[in-house]
Amino acid sequence: MSKKRLPPSGAQFIEPDAYPQILSKPAAARALLTLRSAETAAKAQAAMEAAVPPMRAAILGYVEEMEAAAHDMKKLFAIVHEIRGFAETAGMITTGRIAEILCRYMDDMERVGKPLDATIVALHASAIARAARAEDDDVRMGDKVAAELAALVARRLAEAH
Amino acid sequence: MAAGLESIKALVVEDNTHMRSLLRALLNTLGVKDVGEAIHGQAALDILRERKIDLVLTDLAMGPMDGLELTRHLRNDANSPNPFVPIIMITGHTEKYRVEAARDAGVTEILAKPVTAHNLFARITEILERPRAFVRCDSYFGPDRRRHQEADMHTGPWRRADDLQEAEVR
Repeated sequence: MSKKRLPPSGAQFIEPDAYPQILSKPAAARALLTLRSAETAAKAQAAMEAAVPPMRAAILGYVEEMEAAAHDMKKLFAIVHEIRGFAETAGMITTGRIAEILCRYMDDMERVGKPLDATIVALHASAIARAARAEDDDVRMGDKVAAELAALVARRLAEAH
Repeated sequence: MAAGLESIKALVVEDNTHMRSLLRALLNTLGVKDVGEAIHGQAALDILRERKIDLVLTDLAMGPMDGLELTRHLRNDANSPNPFVPIIMITGHTEKYRVEAARDAGVTEILAKPVTAHNLFARITEILERPRAFVRCDSYFGPDRRRHQEADMHTGPWRRADDLQEAEVR
């Protein structure tokens, strides 16, 4: 029994064999071996680790920009979004988590057309800065602060919706 | 022996220099040596018009042209250099409505930040192992968006004409 499906009425289906693929089938098979090899995984891990120091330095730079942009919510959101984007890749787990909570809060409030609570934004910004600057990574303060901020945001979003 | 990943020409479209460097480094570990870089969608289009690109990795939020607009240009423009090119959209904006917007623009795969090698390689594997059919209709051109419905497809009974036609194919 074929699993082939038809397109919706009036639509044209173009099967993979009918348009140019990245690689021929034999080359794709070879590429898949590379993608799944332990050697590739080890090289990739090394590449990820090499990226950490410059990313950490960049995040600390973003934190300074974030603090300078405390009253410019649009700019602050853009910066916090950048922090969220690669803090975890840099091994700054709590920093990324708090940035994620703040981004979600700002995004949701904008969607429902409600004003931001400056205190909530300031609390998050302060926690992001503290987590990012903690020299032993941010594990010690991490989970508890992030959980409390997440609960606070959840309550405010529930009120806003 | 058939050339593998080393023959691929990739383009990374990302406004953050650190993320661009990381993506380039990860592609290099796969043997992909030809990795172009652009800092926004318009710059990417310029490169795509100049040279053949096999794989696009793009951020979502960039100015002046973001990843969604780039994708729409590539899929729908009459002058598109490659309407079928696989596009992996990399984004920290993982809200449902944003993911749906990316899907409806015609991206091939979505990779949520934080980027990991495992997740990036999984998306590339998906593109190579299970290339998707493209759909062209009045309101959309791009990879078939229904692939995740495959597992729970309805097996009947059939009522609509389209359903009956599909059942016959099965």
